[in-house]
Amino acid sequence: MPVDRGAATLLLYVAVLFVAGCEPRGESADLASSASGRVVTDADGNPIRVQPPARRVISLVPSATLTLGALGAEDRLVARTDFDTAAWVGSLPSVGGGLQPSIEAIVAARPDLVIHFGGPQDVQTPRRLEDLGIRHAAVRPDRIHDILDMVRFLGAVTGRDEAADSLALSIESELAAVRRSAAGRPDVQVAYVLGGDPPWVAGPGSYIHELIEMAGGTNAFSDLERRYAAVSPEEFHGRTIDLILLSRGTVFDARLAHGGRIVEVSPDLELPGPRVAASARELARILAHVP
Amino acid sequence: MRRVGLSLALVVLLACSMVASVRFGSVDLGTADVLSALTGVAPPWVRTIVVDLRLPRALLGALVGGGLAVAGATFQALLRNPLAEPYILGISGGASVGAVLMLATGIAGAGSWTLPLAAFLGALLAIVLVFGVATASGRGMDVRVLLLAGVVVAAFFSACIALILSVSEARTVQSAVLWIMGSLANAGWSNVIVAAVYTLPATVLLIGLARPLNLLAIGEETAQYLGTDVERVKRLALGVAALITAAGVAVAGVIGFVGLVVPHAIRLLVGSDHRALLPLSFLAGAAFLALADLVAKLVLAPTEIPIGVITAFVGVPLFLVLLRRSLAA
Repeated sequence: MPVDRGAATLLLYVAVLFVAGCEPRGESADLASSASGRVVTDADGNPIRVQPPARRVISLVPSATLTLGALGAEDRLVARTDFDTAAWVGSLPSVGGGLQPSIEAIVAARPDLVIHFGGPQDVQTPRRLEDLGIRHAAVRPDRIHDILDMVRFLGAVTGRDEAADSLALSIESELAAVRRSAAGRPDVQVAYVLGGDPPWVAGPGSYIHELIEMAGGTNAFSDLERRYAAVSPEEFHGRTIDLILLSRGTVFDARLAHGGRIVEVSPDLELPGPRVAASARELARILAHVP
Repeated sequence: MRRVGLSLALVVLLACSMVASVRFGSVDLGTADVLSALTGVAPPWVRTIVVDLRLPRALLGALVGGGLAVAGATFQALLRNPLAEPYILGISGGASVGAVLMLATGIAGAGSWTLPLAAFLGALLAIVLVFGVATASGRGMDVRVLLLAGVVVAAFFSACIALILSVSEARTVQSAVLWIMGSLANAGWSNVIVAAVYTLPATVLLIGLARPLNLLAIGEETAQYLGTDVERVKRLALGVAALITAAGVAVAGVIGFVGLVVPHAIRLLVGSDHRALLPLSFLAGAAFLALADLVAKLVLAPTEIPIGVITAFVGVPLFLVLLRRSLAA
């Protein structure tokens, strides 16, 4: 059949073209082998050279932006995203969203390091930065230990190791204090709703799940297979849920609560950054008042 | 005379839109900066913005827009259906499945070629499936079957996309949706080369088939009586138009309305002689998409609006005005 033969020829043609356009992604690997100084690994497993410390940073990840602020490195930031709302970043130029930002705006800010989301969340941005020869690193604060890793990583790449260590240690000790204070409390079944219809809830593998457990609760959705997932309204009927937590402004159908209390929490809880210990304390306070 | 005038106007419009696309972007550069970047004396970051980001983006917009318009005109002639557009054979669905699969699995991060290649292969899969069904009788290609198979295959692919997205992380879903809606934001020189290698020779080839396409638009039997090898022309033109679409969707996602509205607008202005319709559609589609992209990147800069929104917002009113005028005349 002529069409099929033509298609096969073209398939070959396109394969040749695309392979010709493929450039080896060698830069980060070269760094690891040739750099004389210390090298740290980012959340995607790529080696990042620590020296010289980054002086012009763009953080596409709001929690990383907050972390840089907490490390006293806010003067290193040269741009922000539309999702960074803190007053101290307000005067910086925006590069758009944190996912698929304006590459042109990034180039114009002349960064020497761009912090972006790791994993499959936005694979295009790091690839484009790589193509343009802009140094970049991934953070992925999924769990509490990832948040602590992020703190130390950002400290290392901005030359603020000491500040990072002390921040990480204080977060750890504050979390331990929350855990101690909540020990022995009666069990409370908690669901954390992120919004959406059907509602998205936090499952195991998320720092929110860890915070709930730490504050003396049990995540009612700890059997989910993913960190965050949309669950059928039926799931709310079939489970005992004493407490439904949602951030201010989240839309949720109260009929799904079935007598369980609905409590609003600070939107900070959805930012896995330096305020994570404060979020743990907030949860512990709320849970302490649930009979 | 009208054709010559329109050609000149479109060439000027295309040139202006390309210049504007290089001159304006989300970053405020002066004309002098842009000129110095083009002559190589600007600071590296200005050069990167102008030469590595804006220039390929302007060219990609023109190539994809022109290609989609020519493909649309060809599909409308061959399928003898005014609603035909480049994605009617399920090509966008196939490409989207390929792209979304790459995004959801994270493979798209492996290299700049993985996502376009997967999208292109998905589009080819759709084409092979649809053409395979339409030629199954062995008595030549039935365009009604082609249309029906295209719609069904597209529905199947959208189910696949829904399945992949429903088991993906929330943020991956966002990236995938942005890709599906179409954008020139990821334009680079490698994309431009791929788009040019497919679109330019294919457009020349389709313009070469203008006369048989004129006859086919009247009817297959008439064309046969007048000495056209109907089956050969149909397969060649459909295959080439499908490939232009596949290449376009691979590098820029699914951009609606260009392939539907532009050929109709040109037809209303100069009639349906494909010798004029195809080249003018290319010019108009190229200028239209380059301008639409300019709007998409400037209106909410640095955040970009999906380009499909602009093509619809600009294309639809323009088209309705033309339609009204042609009825009144």
